[in-house]
Amino acid sequence: MSAAAAPAAAATVKEPREILRVENLVKHFPITAGMFLSREVGSVRAVDGVSFELNEGETLGLVGESGSGKSTTGRLVLRLLEPTSGSVQFDGQDVLALEEAKLRALRGKMQIIFQDPYGALNPRKTVLETVAEPLLIHGRRWGPELHARVRELLELVGLASYHADRYPHEFSGGQRQRIGIARALALNPRFIVCDEPVSALDVSIQAQIVNLLQDLQEELGLTYLFIAHDLGVVKHISTRVAVMYLGRIVEIADKAELYARPLHPYTRALLSAIPVPRPGAGRERVILQGEVPSPINPPSGCHFHTRCPFAVAECRAVDPPLREVAPGHKAACHLVQPQTAQEGPRGP
Amino acid sequence: MSEPLLSVRNLKTVFKTEDGQFAAVDDVSFELNEGEVIGIVGESGSGKSVTALSIMGLVPNPPGRIAGGEIRFEGRNLLELPEREMRRLRGGRMAMIFQEPMTSLNPVFTVGDQLFEGIIEHEGVGKRAARDRAVELLDKVGIAAPAERLDQYPHQMSGGMRQRVMIAMALACNPKLLLADEPTTALDVTIQAQILDLLRELQEEFRMAVIMITHNLGVVAEFAHKVMVMYCGRAVETAPVGELFERPSHPYTQGLLRSIPHLDHEGARLRTIKGTVPSPFALPPGCRFAARCEHARPACAEAEPPMIGVVPDHEAACIRLTGYRHDLTRATEPVA
Repeated sequence: MSAAAAPAAAATVKEPREILRVENLVKHFPITAGMFLSREVGSVRAVDGVSFELNEGETLGLVGESGSGKSTTGRLVLRLLEPTSGSVQFDGQDVLALEEAKLRALRGKMQIIFQDPYGALNPRKTVLETVAEPLLIHGRRWGPELHARVRELLELVGLASYHADRYPHEFSGGQRQRIGIARALALNPRFIVCDEPVSALDVSIQAQIVNLLQDLQEELGLTYLFIAHDLGVVKHISTRVAVMYLGRIVEIADKAELYARPLHPYTRALLSAIPVPRPGAGRERVILQGEVPSPINPPSGCHFHTRCPFAVAECRAVDPPLREVAPGHKAACHLVQPQTAQEGPRGP
Repeated sequence: MSEPLLSVRNLKTVFKTEDGQFAAVDDVSFELNEGEVIGIVGESGSGKSVTALSIMGLVPNPPGRIAGGEIRFEGRNLLELPEREMRRLRGGRMAMIFQEPMTSLNPVFTVGDQLFEGIIEHEGVGKRAARDRAVELLDKVGIAAPAERLDQYPHQMSGGMRQRVMIAMALACNPKLLLADEPTTALDVTIQAQILDLLRELQEEFRMAVIMITHNLGVVAEFAHKVMVMYCGRAVETAPVGELFERPSHPYTQGLLRSIPHLDHEGARLRTIKGTVPSPFALPPGCRFAARCEHARPACAEAEPPMIGVVPDHEAACIRLTGYRHDLTRATEPVA
């Protein structure tokens, strides 16, 4: 497979190469009222100033609870949703400035895998039609060559070529997710947004899909933005992890660093809330009070201050910037002490 | 020793569909004492929810039907009780909470109306007394400003709050047995932690027995005293919770435990269980897990494996424990 050779070679390059840069991304969904819903009365601030970058061959895990804006961020990066403001650079190109035709060409390089393998596949189309669709739209393959490519893709994701003529309802959840992955791979993308790809699957199947995604990454040199709420899965698959809360990244660091030394109080609470499959594992649990506030009127200052056990007056007034507190480790909290010559960074 | 609070013997629940009949629960037995928590673990289609519905007498008929076995609760066989008696038990001595509180709450009635209904029905009190009791219950489950919340509709509440309301409804008549079917699965982790904490507190305070149905082994490890693992309608392993995690003896349990990415787990690849769950209409002969099992031998396909004792209170349905012999029911030496 000649197409796979080039990215595979790129993955072995030592110098990390930036493939995606997201700066100050904002998405506000208007809330309208009045006759014909023409009057804007407010907005849902789903994504509220998100910045990160991604190196080639890397996996950035994006975690957060419902309403944190993680899925919206994924869609904004691919411009499946138009951002309110901000910038997205993919491989040196300004994604948000591209016109229709150029954007379509770029979409071949940036793909998405969805959470629900039942909802993401057209029940009236065979696997062949589903997987071939992107190839036809982009005018890449025809006739026998098209069939051969579909068979190749199916085998790549662990399905058999005879599955091509079947319909989605004939497959289990895990197999459907494989079909979705085959479709995403059809155009040889370099970057894939994985939006909760294993959340709807049973644990024994989850592990199969996670392994498949890792194998494909290695083989094809893919870069992933891996969106999930399961911190165990994210820890397993990610190189770096970003934690979102109410539309903002509150902490981002290398995987090992983030899990070993979480600094933001929200990250700590999130990590401590996960039930551990080890009876009698005595752990100190930070149980957060209350629930996530509405993104329509997020709290002033630090969005987390209403639930934070350490909040002081400054937190209510001033929005903490996401700043580097140790090499490669950023946190958005007034109370985190940056690393000094004597000691490492400290959380509240 | 006194009789357990709940004793399920050889329960078999079948469903009739266009494609034929299958047993969603097939020969399942377990016991539960007062104040004890059992976790029932399994993947989709393992029969864990149908087990709970069978106990509650809520299996939709048709297409479902309890085809055999016995469910004894406080000394009475529930399968022989007239529906009128079952109705008094449900929401009274035993109650159930579900995964998605939105579908269990009626959207056109206020939370208060739905709470009063159960209290008035089961305790025979007037509306004013029911209201006082409802305020007390909402307060108990950690809902702030309970009196105002009573007049709200379910859609005005968040998922976590609705689950608290469901728990309040379940507690209304001080049940001795609570069945919780994936009560935290639809919730975010920080809210899940709150709800699990609440359930634990209430369970201890009221000495309730709880059947916790979940696919999350973490929830089981933190909440249950003992565990039953189900696969394709059958119980494949039962054990005290510490014992199960320390010495899982059925290859399916072992596989499940290995395939979860732990927070403290390091390693490049996850161990998986190969293949997928067989269709209930095309179950293999003998052990239902054999096709996916790394230890399977021809003997596994000969007959359904019985429950085999590993140590007292710990049983697994795997003939590997007897050296692949069907005629032994007690393991000589536990297999790691």
